[in-house]
Amino acid sequence: MINGNLKSTYGADERVLDNAYKQAFVYGSFMALAALAMFANDYVILIACKMGILLVAVVGINILTGYTGLVSLGHGAFVAIGAYSVTALHNLFTGIIPEPVMVFVVVPIAVAFTALIGVIVGLPSLRVKGLYLAVATLAASFIVIFLVEHDSLAPWTGGVVGINTPAPNILGWQLDSKREMFILISVVAIVAILAAQNLVRTRVGRAFIAIRDRDYSAEILGISLLKYKLTSFALSAAYCGLAGVLLAYFFARILPEQFELDLSLELVAALIVGGMGRTMGPVFGVILIVLVPELIKVIASGFTGGNTASARYAAPLQEIVFGALLIFFLLKEPLGINHIVDRNLRALNRWPFARG
Amino acid sequence: MGQFLQFAINGLMSGAIYALIAVGIVSVYKATKVVNFAHGYLIMFGAYFYFTFAVLLPGASWAPGWLPSWQPEWLVAMKADLPMFSPMGAVLDWVSNLPRILLGIFGALLANALLGRVVERVLMRPLMGQSIFAMIMVTVGLISILSGASSLIWTADAAFVPHIAPNTPVRFEAFGTTIFLFGADLVNMIIALILFGGIVAFVRYTKGGVAIRATAEDQSTAYSMGISVPKVFSRAWVLACTTGAIAGAILATRNGVSPTLGLFGFSVLAIVLMGGLDSYVGVFLAAMAVGVLEAMTQWQLGGEWAEIVPYVTVLVVLLIRPHGLFGSKEVERI
Repeated sequence: MINGNLKSTYGADERVLDNAYKQAFVYGSFMALAALAMFANDYVILIACKMGILLVAVVGINILTGYTGLVSLGHGAFVAIGAYSVTALHNLFTGIIPEPVMVFVVVPIAVAFTALIGVIVGLPSLRVKGLYLAVATLAASFIVIFLVEHDSLAPWTGGVVGINTPAPNILGWQLDSKREMFILISVVAIVAILAAQNLVRTRVGRAFIAIRDRDYSAEILGISLLKYKLTSFALSAAYCGLAGVLLAYFFARILPEQFELDLSLELVAALIVGGMGRTMGPVFGVILIVLVPELIKVIASGFTGGNTASARYAAPLQEIVFGALLIFFLLKEPLGINHIVDRNLRALNRWPFARG
Repeated sequence: MGQFLQFAINGLMSGAIYALIAVGIVSVYKATKVVNFAHGYLIMFGAYFYFTFAVLLPGASWAPGWLPSWQPEWLVAMKADLPMFSPMGAVLDWVSNLPRILLGIFGALLANALLGRVVERVLMRPLMGQSIFAMIMVTVGLISILSGASSLIWTADAAFVPHIAPNTPVRFEAFGTTIFLFGADLVNMIIALILFGGIVAFVRYTKGGVAIRATAEDQSTAYSMGISVPKVFSRAWVLACTTGAIAGAILATRNGVSPTLGLFGFSVLAIVLMGGLDSYVGVFLAAMAVGVLEAMTQWQLGGEWAEIVPYVTVLVVLLIRPHGLFGSKEVERI
């Protein structure tokens, strides 16, 4: 609750950014992004791009886990499907469709294809939930990665050794530098967050929330579980597919091992750390989940002074800290960073009359 | 037909190992309602502990000479007049490895039991009464911690470890073809089956087992009847970790020690869900069925397809029977 939040019109009450704090935060972040694009060095741009790609996927998981209450441990597979299908489509259509409009054809097809696979993977969600669904999605993701690596699909996916990915060309604008990709990724990420935020204000989004709170009650109220659970799976898979498309465009080469269990866990962990079922949750979560391992790498290399013998400790340490972060938030702050931010903003707002 | 029998026996042997691993997941679930996603990584720790106590420790310079290779005079004398590659030779090799095998198994059991206690006390106890989601995710976080810690502690992988039993080849004729098995695999299967049966009997007939079942039925009632629920929790975790240590040791002798052992836990998790989370019988049957199916897939389609057999079967079973083959259906009230 934030006070001083008086509205005199319905229009003002329905706005997405309905108070000054939110406006300041969002416009401030836009300016920060613009500043990053203009002044940041290549390393910072690289990290920011990683965050942006992950963010799009986590926003998708948020729709499924945060709003619909269905747990998935296999969404890394959807990122893989998006990345591989866009690459395969590029290779397929080269010469048939002119380069400048290629993106507008292949990206929708790739995203739609991922959504379709999402519906298929989501089918068990009608009969099982909770833990059973988590294992079912996990199993599905193992199967997808197996197929990607398998020899019979190697002409399209490149098999275990990976495949080179195309650079996107939007109406003649060739995005071949990381900085240009950063602009594309930030625009897509902002649109993705805005779309997700607006989704939960619609009939569909409210149905999702009803299913999360109690699925049988929702069904009694006339919400078709079949339709909305599958819609939720399709939407979250589409978001992850879009993240995969960005990933394929961003990196010069993709490998199957990039999309294995680690990615799926990272996505869920980012959501839990940031705060489930909140618009800004994925943003905070992704920033922390990407930044902390990077910081460990930087600090570790500072300590060892680039000594290769001790450099091998950095990767396991990152893994341990990642797990510890997840467990810490589950034990101590299950509502995530978003809740901490809320608490502090509220304290700020009421100061000096009350605290928190 | 002979080939079929060969692959079926291979399948049953790996199915028994699956069952041994699965019993850990089921025990923890029955007592605490937590599904342990990190069980595969606990097994990996068991394997690494076995490796440490059976290979690294005897190999250290300060270790007594009889530890890495025990050579009493009668053993040397018996070995001297044996022909090459005789089955007896394999047994004698095993005897001279016996001290370090025993040290390895007991060391792995103790170290893994300790690990289980720590995990239960530090991570699981604070979550008593929390949502299922939080508990599952904590075990998911545990995956990263364990796999990071293992690669921090142990650098070598795919190292050779001594077999638990003498590895004599066993041959016999059936349907006109020779069936070929390894003695160690057979003994492993017997160990796994005995342990599985022992745990089922323990849960059914002993006082501690009744406490576990009572806790599974209703935690607060069990508490009020004088059962110490936290003690039941830690007992279940220790049980899971010790069986995991044996399973880890067996797996280490089969495929070598490597970080990929952790992934093994996920296929076993699939098997557990297939059989029904709280049913030992169902899990046993599912483990055997998947073991045989895997072997058949390996025979007909090639080895690479075998790795996704557990995942495909679990998806099919869950679509038809959402609570597994023998699992009890949860009744939900609104």
